[in-house]
Amino acid sequence: MLALLLVLPVIFWLLRLIPPLPRLVRFPAIRLLIGLEPSEQTPMKMPWWLLLLRLLLATFLILAVARPLLNPQAELPGKGPLLIVMDDGWSSAPGWSTRVGHAERLIQSAERAGRPVALIGTAPLPLDAPAARKGALRPDETRTILRAFRPKPWPTDRAKAANEIDQLKLDPGTYVVWLSDGLEGPGADKLTDRLRKFDGGLQVVLPDAAATPLLLLPPNPEGRDLKVTALRPVADGPRKTAVQAADEQGRVVARIELDFPAASTKGEGVLQAPPELRNRMTRLDLEAQGGAGSTVLLDERNRRRPVSILGEQAAANGQPLLQEVYFLEKALDPYVSLSIGDRETVLNRNTAVLLIPDGAAPSATDRDEIAKWIERGGVAVRFAGPNLAAGGADNLVPVPLRLGDRALGGVMSWGHPAALAEFPTNSPFVGIPIPKDVRISQQVLAEPTPDLADKTWARLTDGTPLVTGEKRGQGYLVLIHTTANTSWSNLALSGLFVDMLQRLVILSRGVAGDGVNKSLKPWRVLDGFGKLGAPPSGAQMLPVDANQTFVPKPTTPPGFYGDENAQVAFNIGGHVAPPQPLVLPAGVATDRLSEGGETDLSRWCLLAAAILLLIDLLLSLWLRGLMPRAVRIGRSAPVSIVVALLLGLAAVAAPHVTQAQTTTVAAPAPEKPGPPPLTDEEALKGSLDTRLAYIITGDKDVDDLSKAGLEGLSEVLRNRTSVEPADPVGLDLEKDEPRLYPLIYWPITSSEPNLSPRAAASLDRYLRTGGILFIDTRDQQMSFDRSANGNPDLKRLLSGIEVPPLIAMPPDHVLTKSFYLLSDMPGRFAGGKLWIEAGNGRVNDGVTTIIIGSNDYAGAWAVDQRGRGVNPVMPGGEQQREMAFRVGVNLVMHALTGNYKDDAVHLNDIMQRLRR
Amino acid sequence: MAQPSTLHRSLELAGTLPALMVAADRVAATVIQGVHGRRRVGQGDAFWQYRPYRDGDSASQIDWRQSARSRHLFVRETEWEAAASVWLWRDASPSMQYASLKNIDTKAVRAELITLALASLLTDAGERIAILGSGMRPISGRVAVRRVAETMVGETRDGGRALPSQPPLVPLPAHGTVVLVSDWLDPLDSVEAMIRHYASVGVRGHLVQVLDPAEEDLPFNGHVKFEGLEAEGQHTIRRVETVRVAYGARLAAQKEGLQRLTRSAGWTVHLHRTDRPPQTVLLSLYLAMADLRRLNAA
Repeated sequence: MLALLLVLPVIFWLLRLIPPLPRLVRFPAIRLLIGLEPSEQTPMKMPWWLLLLRLLLATFLILAVARPLLNPQAELPGKGPLLIVMDDGWSSAPGWSTRVGHAERLIQSAERAGRPVALIGTAPLPLDAPAARKGALRPDETRTILRAFRPKPWPTDRAKAANEIDQLKLDPGTYVVWLSDGLEGPGADKLTDRLRKFDGGLQVVLPDAAATPLLLLPPNPEGRDLKVTALRPVADGPRKTAVQAADEQGRVVARIELDFPAASTKGEGVLQAPPELRNRMTRLDLEAQGGAGSTVLLDERNRRRPVSILGEQAAANGQPLLQEVYFLEKALDPYVSLSIGDRETVLNRNTAVLLIPDGAAPSATDRDEIAKWIERGGVAVRFAGPNLAAGGADNLVPVPLRLGDRALGGVMSWGHPAALAEFPTNSPFVGIPIPKDVRISQQVLAEPTPDLADKTWARLTDGTPLVTGEKRGQGYLVLIHTTANTSWSNLALSGLFVDMLQRLVILSRGVAGDGVNKSLKPWRVLDGFGKLGAPPSGAQMLPVDANQTFVPKPTTPPGFYGDENAQVAFNIGGHVAPPQPLVLPAGVATDRLSEGGETDLSRWCLLAAAILLLIDLLLSLWLRGLMPRAVRIGRSAPVSIVVALLLGLAAVAAPHVTQAQTTTVAAPAPEKPGPPPLTDEEALKGSLDTRLAYIITGDKDVDDLSKAGLEGLSEVLRNRTSVEPADPVGLDLEKDEPRLYPLIYWPITSSEPNLSPRAAASLDRYLRTGGILFIDTRDQQMSFDRSANGNPDLKRLLSGIEVPPLIAMPPDHVLTKSFYLLSDMPGRFAGGKLWIEAGNGRVNDGVTTIIIGSNDYAGAWAVDQRGRGVNPVMPGGEQQREMAFRVGVNLVMHALTGNYKDDAVHLNDIMQRLRR
Repeated sequence: MAQPSTLHRSLELAGTLPALMVAADRVAATVIQGVHGRRRVGQGDAFWQYRPYRDGDSASQIDWRQSARSRHLFVRETEWEAAASVWLWRDASPSMQYASLKNIDTKAVRAELITLALASLLTDAGERIAILGSGMRPISGRVAVRRVAETMVGETRDGGRALPSQPPLVPLPAHGTVVLVSDWLDPLDSVEAMIRHYASVGVRGHLVQVLDPAEEDLPFNGHVKFEGLEAEGQHTIRRVETVRVAYGARLAAQKEGLQRLTRSAGWTVHLHRTDRPPQTVLLSLYLAMADLRRLNAA
């Protein structure tokens, strides 16, 4: 198909030959165009970018037809069927999706070659697995089976798998791929031998380092902490992995790192957690591994119980080695959270086990309370001693006791201190090794009763009970028939004491029933990915003697056994052999699991071609002028669009390229410094008519007065002069542009905020370019108060503006004669001076830019609708108002005509000179 | 085209070209006050001169106030006044319905705007105006503007009928004035015939050439098929940029020809682009008309 690319030059030539259709333009002056011949006689050519676009379009189409593949899979060797053997035990969960992906690709290759595929897992099927067809099937059928495959939470049984392969009766020319988990195991050699018998060839696919399974072992308590251990099959350099501990709700409560030393297959870490947290943990997981083998479920054995001792804290100055509390504390402290106190204190706490040394001697009330507490599920352990032996009506014992005690090996005794006998099978102490040197020299004796044997959990070699226990209600009452210190025996010095106490602590919450150790039914089981779920129907009880050689299998999957009240964890770690690397005989071809699948690129090529086609369509429309006018954006736009799109197509994951392109196109020209542009509306309003303007101060009264005053002045101007101002405007210096107005009236108020830099700059610009600012401080009536410093608000407001030096207006200034001849300048108030710019014609042709008065001129100009003054003027009455209007007229005339009148006063002299 | 708004806009436009601006000019005294004196004694309101009383003068002509100042009787003489009649015409043919850009007026809209604004100015100045070829009699006053506007609306509303791109040749009285607004892209022969027709009877004229920027600049590129607006047919040009210079030369020749024709007849021609404000052309047109009066008066 790629040979079609040879057509491209032809297309190129054809495209160059065929010009694009012309744009249609309606044009009134066509008469002038008719008959005009182009001076160039070359044929109209297609623009280069359109040509490039269309060639690219054709190329994509040809490529799409050729069905390109990215990372194509190698063809399967041989001609016979394909057999895929998958290790799907606990160790296959890491990298499972890669494994399945690998198998899928194999099936795809077989499908392409039209070869049947058989698929077999090496782990036993779960109990509830549906019956699946076996043998060489069509690839799509096999694919369906593969998709239902899950890793199993138990080890593989490869010998059984070898037998199953025998039963499949496959063609001898079968090509075999064994997707191995890389672990040695029983039957591995047998399976290898069986697979090598096929003529088609064998390939063993091994997991890479990331998918190599790790095995997490149940943690060992190490003092207050938990020591977490994981195993790996090969010691391939230092490695770190993380373990996280989660509670019942799945929240992570702790996380530690496990360190594998370079030459060790064992990684260890210490999980430090306060007892509260530790007791909440229900499982440990290897991070980033997943799978039943990297999960350890925690049960009561891994928790620290709250244990209380009835009695008083060992006195610091006493003789601790004689005190029972001391021995109990030492025996239990690292493993449980211990507290000591009287009955009320300890029972009010959340206590699992209550230890009652003989010295505590509970009162009758205490005994009743403790009995009630036992009924509710507590475990009370009493120790015998002189107090108990003294007897009395003490019923807080599991068995009735004889009065007094028995001493063995004493001065007056023939016997020797007795050793311990084997623990009876109903005892919670079963399995604890009995040290030979433990001797009991004194004990209390139980009355022989019919159920004494059932209640005896440990006895001496002579058959007398040493530990008796009884289930009362939900809890247990246990009696140790000797003391917790060394006065009656050396039991308290032995490791056995510690072990026995721990077993008793485990008793709490009733892990074991009456018989303490019994078979437990499954409660929640793990699946191959390490998720807890309901047990399958047909799952069997976990036997009592489930020791380290009891391997998880379909009938007893790993998980929690027991009921909702008490569970025992059954983990893979500790029950399967440590992982070992798979040893293959020489000559077996191996491969690594790989992710890289092939990708069919033809659809992307088609998509690209479709997009280009769309662009081509739009461009054709544009070229013929059929696009809406809004879309016609400049002449260079199509070129840049095409370039941008081509770049975007070339680097699909580079949208920033397109963006960069558009920003280049749309980049505004650097802004020239200068006044901000005016909108047309503003410009028209300000320039079509002459207007007086005032500055809006923010004080409404003052602003209204300014407006009214300028309206009154405008009316006077219209009536008396050729100036015909339109309505005055108010200027907000922050927004409005002042440069359109010849004269701006600015009343000074104390409430006006300081000018912003922008406003000050705009006023500055206004003054420099010939504007006149008429500032009215309106404080003539109080100027005598302020003669020293002037108006503080004026200083404040003008601080941002470059004010030229000011002088008092000389009596012959043009302001006094620009329209009316005036001798003084009254406003609402009379007197006061006008201050004007000092420069003598230096700038602005001698027209002052700033005029500062204080007579409240707007107040005098303001008239109502009938033309009567709004404010009274002082002291001169209406005549003074008339003079104020004349001042205003002169001001406006000065602003509009400049110093014309200054020259005009010399007219007589000039005329005389001319006449002569 | 909303005619009332055109009328409104043109009145505004006339307002923005205020009589004041012209008044600043030397001709203001004679033009803007509307009644242009003939600088000789005649019928009119404006005072011209006093002269001593002669026999035969009516007693009512005696200016008693002036006479009281001396021992002679004086008669007040007024200046002879004559208001001119102006015939306006604007091209409303299909080729005027063109605007190359969205935000500018079509040539037709602009032509009507100029015509109406001129009508407004002229009636303000006291002239009598009429639409050429409409059969309307020249009248004066604000009502004249409205009549002119109504006539133009009536012509264009008469849909279906393509209006001619040349002014009608109707008999006009001598010393009348015509103002003709069009794009003046027709062959010069027909324009020359029209000018000759009117100039031969002593009618003065002013042509306003309204052109779209695209018609002046020919801003197209590449392969373009042009189509006329008045069924002139189509013309395809492979590379428009190559003919731009030649087109410009032809357009310049057309303008030059117009200049030549009008100058020979004592007329004026004023160019206007639709992307420029109409005030400029209006002012130059107005000044030209005022100048002509001064020439005539001198």
